[in-house]
Amino acid sequence: MSEVTLILQAIGRGESCASEQLLPLVYDELRRLAAAQMARESAGHTLQPTALVHEAWLRLAGDGDVPWKDRAYFFSAAAQAMRRILIEHARRKSRLKYGGGQERLNIEEVDLANATPDEKILMVDAALEQLEAEQPERARIVALKYFGGMTNKEVAETLGIGERTVHRHWVCAKTWLFHKIHAQM
Amino acid sequence: MDASVERVEEIFCAALEVKVPEERKAFLERACAGDSKLRAAVEKMLLSQTGVEKLFGGGSPARGLGRAMADEAGFREGVDSILSGEEEIGKRIGRYKLLQRIGEGGCGSVYMAEQEIPVRRRVALKVIKLGMDTKSVIARFEAERQALALMDHPNIARVLDAGATEAGRPYFVMELVRGVKITAYCDENHLPARQRLELFIQICSAIQHAHQKGVIHRDIKPSNILVTMHDGVPVPKVIDFGIAKATGGQLLTDKTLFTAYEQFIGTPAYMSPEQAEMSGLDVDTRSDIYSLGVLLYELLTGKTPFDQEELLQSGMVEMRRTLCEREPHRPSTKLDGLRAEELTQTALHRGSEPRKLKSLLTGELDWVVMKALEKDRSRRYQTANGLGTEIQRYLNNEPVVAGPPSRLYRFQKLVRRNKTVFAAVVAVSITLIAGLATSSWLFVREREARREQARLREEAEARAEIAQAAVLLARGKSQEADRLVDKIQIPVTEPSLEAAGVFRNLGDWNVTQGRWRQAADYFLKMVQANQVDKSDMTDGATRDLLWVGPTLIAVGDMDTYRRFVQGTIARFAGTTNPVAAEQLMKASLIVPADPATVNSLEPLAKVAEQSIAGGNPASSKDIYMFAWRAFALSLFEYRRGYVTNAVTWGQRSLGYSDRRPTCVAMSHLILAMAFWQAHQPDTARSELAQGRELVEPRFPNGLERIADLGNDASGYWNDWVMARILLAEATTLIEHRG
Repeated sequence: MSEVTLILQAIGRGESCASEQLLPLVYDELRRLAAAQMARESAGHTLQPTALVHEAWLRLAGDGDVPWKDRAYFFSAAAQAMRRILIEHARRKSRLKYGGGQERLNIEEVDLANATPDEKILMVDAALEQLEAEQPERARIVALKYFGGMTNKEVAETLGIGERTVHRHWVCAKTWLFHKIHAQM
Repeated sequence: MDASVERVEEIFCAALEVKVPEERKAFLERACAGDSKLRAAVEKMLLSQTGVEKLFGGGSPARGLGRAMADEAGFREGVDSILSGEEEIGKRIGRYKLLQRIGEGGCGSVYMAEQEIPVRRRVALKVIKLGMDTKSVIARFEAERQALALMDHPNIARVLDAGATEAGRPYFVMELVRGVKITAYCDENHLPARQRLELFIQICSAIQHAHQKGVIHRDIKPSNILVTMHDGVPVPKVIDFGIAKATGGQLLTDKTLFTAYEQFIGTPAYMSPEQAEMSGLDVDTRSDIYSLGVLLYELLTGKTPFDQEELLQSGMVEMRRTLCEREPHRPSTKLDGLRAEELTQTALHRGSEPRKLKSLLTGELDWVVMKALEKDRSRRYQTANGLGTEIQRYLNNEPVVAGPPSRLYRFQKLVRRNKTVFAAVVAVSITLIAGLATSSWLFVREREARREQARLREEAEARAEIAQAAVLLARGKSQEADRLVDKIQIPVTEPSLEAAGVFRNLGDWNVTQGRWRQAADYFLKMVQANQVDKSDMTDGATRDLLWVGPTLIAVGDMDTYRRFVQGTIARFAGTTNPVAAEQLMKASLIVPADPATVNSLEPLAKVAEQSIAGGNPASSKDIYMFAWRAFALSLFEYRRGYVTNAVTWGQRSLGYSDRRPTCVAMSHLILAMAFWQAHQPDTARSELAQGRELVEPRFPNGLERIADLGNDASGYWNDWVMARILLAEATTLIEHRG
């Protein structure tokens, strides 16, 4: 049984330190796969995020019989890893815009109508943190869709819920996040 | 989430679906039903959608992942190192000094290096390109190194050492083999088939050695088999052993398949189906044997079963499918597919000409190669030596084990090979038939449906009539019941206890009428209907026998009787119920039986015996049953030919205080025969007389008609019939022979 499968099982059993172990593994694997792919592609960085994640899954967990619940942890971790990468990148880019030394984006300084994509990512990320505190289930769906780039169907499959449920959560969450962001400006 | 928020969301989601503004407004009015707060909340959400769209409209930022990663520190380095994989010449890695680069593979570069301590020699040092899991790879290799160190074979290049560079990349140190890859060597020297095969046998021996040490190569291909010269003699050496296994397949070896990461796939042409599948199936030594098959194929024909380029270009899914499902051409047939110049060249490389080469490969070599290439690994040669020996046999002009596959197998392969074609043909046929004869097809179908319905209806009617017969019987109107059921043609297929009861009653009634044939038929039907619970091995099921057996014998239908007995014994052989055992023995042995049948009843005899030995007849019910059991055992022993035992059991049966008259009668009769066989004629005659005295009065009209069906106390008619059968046998034995 692969290392990742064991960790997933541990998470399933509720062992808290297990999830800490998962993220670096996933993160490393994603980076490695991305690097390998990009080494191939001479031009453009046309990575397919979901394909990447699925490949990482195959590589790390193999094709063993892993229950849906445990698989969900993996894909959530992958989305989390991707989130970190994207946030890091977005921060760097916006730091460049606002001058050095700033750790966090001041939302008040952002004009929502003219926000750059990176600024949008940062705002959503901040609001998502609040959503995680209040409605973790819904926040997980947002993470998978927004940072993981998954379709409703893929999210439904990963979490073992219905597609319509996913759609509902996504649509309502977006609105919630928008309101949260707007309220802080 | 509290109910009100949920409600808002529900309506909001539904409203989103309504695109036309007026309709949406109307929907909201209906849905909110006057609740103004609710309506306000939903409308607020709806209004924000333009803002939401602006915020999230760009699609998932995940698309920018590539860009994001590219800018990351340390990432570029990783990419570059993968791309180049260059180590500095002259640099030291561990105790080795790199001299020059001698090779490049998908998974790393090979350098010639010099070792000084503890001994000065030149070695081959291979640095592996890897990502982050270097530590685990090294750890695993350490474990492998034990096994690899044990390998000591002239055709295996030894792995000497392993370690990691400063940059964290693992490297392996191997015996330096100066040579060329085997396919190149053979072609350059125009080696004829025979010599190629001789080299191949050595390789098989090497692989066998490794397998015995528990090491699977996993990466057998021409570039991993170098031919060096030792005193003018070519020696093949297998290199890169165990590296793939040590890295646990995590390594991006030449053979590891990865979506779109084509630069890391070196030689899928050599990959076994199970490796290509990458399913949970573990890869074992037979995967190497497949690769050996591919090698052999290439040595003989100059080509691999599946073209490398084609595989690479077709994408992972296609590649997997080809390797796992498509049947390759036989070596001789493969030659046919070559262009003229290519074919001449190939033959030239083998010191031959096209026609000669083809005839050489046709037949045995074809079969040997194809056997090694079987998709199903259990059909391949199970050991490398098996393959090697086979080749040796061929070289010695001895017959080989491999042969042309059976017709069925070939057909299966044909289908597999031409799956699409077959499917297409079938599809076309269906369309044709369907198109041409839709109307007639429908008509036929309808007719079938109608027939089926009619059948079901008839069955239902039959069941109803049986039920009616039951009622008639209950009212004592046996004749009417008989006439009613007699009309029913359809056999009632469903077992039902009610039907069984009806059949038995009708059977009994027919017995009283002396209509034995009809009775037998009914009893057989009864047995069928009684099979409600097929697993029932209790005496309830065996009791049926006691009706059927005697009836069939009385009718004289010995064939059906014997068949019936066989079937029942087969069904109940495992019973542990002594009553069932006794009934079965009785029913089966009332007439002389063949030795096989008798022997098959032995376990049942044991059951009966044990129950008597262990039991303490407490109630009177028990006593008479014990008497029956003893009789049954006596009968069994007699049929076996153990006369003394038969006597003992027979006397024991008579010894019980409570016995049924039928039991008494039959015991006397069996004793009569036993004593006769034991050469005690007087006692025999005495027993016979006692038996006859009990039995004959029951049959004033012979076997014509049974007037009285009997009851528990006086004995049932079927028991008396059995007694009569025994009487007939005993009489014949004692009076007509004596």
